[in-house]
Amino acid sequence: MTAYGHSTSFGSGQHELPDVDMRLQELVLDSRDIAEFLTDLSVVAASRFSTPGNPVHCGVTVIRHKRPEAVASSDAEAHSLDELRNGFGDGPCLTALRSKAPLLVPDLARECRWQDYVQAAVARGVSSILAVPMDLAGEAEAVLNLYSGRVNGFSAHDLATAEAFTGHAAGSLKLVLRITQLSEARNDLALALTSRTIIDMAVGAIMAQNRCTRDTAFGILTKASSTRNVKLREVAAAVIASISGEKEIDTYFDE
Amino acid sequence: MYPLGPDGPEQPDREAEERKGAARRFRETDLPLDKLWTYYYGIGGEIDEVSLDAYLHEALDIPAAQVNLIATAMTEMTEEDTE
Repeated sequence: MTAYGHSTSFGSGQHELPDVDMRLQELVLDSRDIAEFLTDLSVVAASRFSTPGNPVHCGVTVIRHKRPEAVASSDAEAHSLDELRNGFGDGPCLTALRSKAPLLVPDLARECRWQDYVQAAVARGVSSILAVPMDLAGEAEAVLNLYSGRVNGFSAHDLATAEAFTGHAAGSLKLVLRITQLSEARNDLALALTSRTIIDMAVGAIMAQNRCTRDTAFGILTKASSTRNVKLREVAAAVIASISGEKEIDTYFDE
Repeated sequence: MYPLGPDGPEQPDREAEERKGAARRFRETDLPLDKLWTYYYGIGGEIDEVSLDAYLHEALDIPAAQVNLIATAMTEMTEEDTE
């Protein structure tokens, strides 16, 4: 996908966004992870708000567990602007996030807030910024950042379109987050099953060798793990290998 | 082979301290509960997720062996995080 491939929708400012839902659905199905989805989303957003004389760069930041979890952008320009913002720790993006309302900075040269950030952004040729937070119903927080090289690069129309767009996008993002969460949980469980088999086997072996209870065997294993600063799973694998020479222990389960 | 020996005497008066410590550590590490439980289950944990939640909120006593495993899980997970 190219950054400005959707030339027919340039600057149309339509609030209905009839094709957006379909487009977003495709993005959800096609992307392999959050980062890829966000990148595609930024590209779609950038192309929607760009006009021939006023190219718009777009970045999306997702914050989960109080850390910026995924940052994606339509192009290298937006990427460096997002990095810049994270470097300074504050900016329109985070302010929009806190106030849960869109924030328009029509002219950076006249902006007195976020001085360090604004200076650096101006130096990179940014003149106006539109930051729109997405409502993700508590699952995470996200903001769509649009950067323009022009003063007043975003009209009232653009603002309304951006709000409608992020409204649609938030639904898709929630879906992507949930899918990611589920597949992460599935991978974690698969790992847990394998590791538990190895540890149970080692515990059984120690019980037989020492004629001790399960709790005592576990205690021996955890003590060995913490004094050697080696993971419990690895200590258990070493115990099994020392007895039977087996290196690969698999757990079989239906998926 | 690994050093084999008894666990040492249990010290029941330390349980409350340990509970508090585990709860504080859990808050500081910022680990999601479901991830912690899955990891803890994977290293042989025996209590369910709801009981783990209760323990981490200082609302439930659990066997000393499980306390150790929960501590081990938190340590190994934070090590993985910083790797």
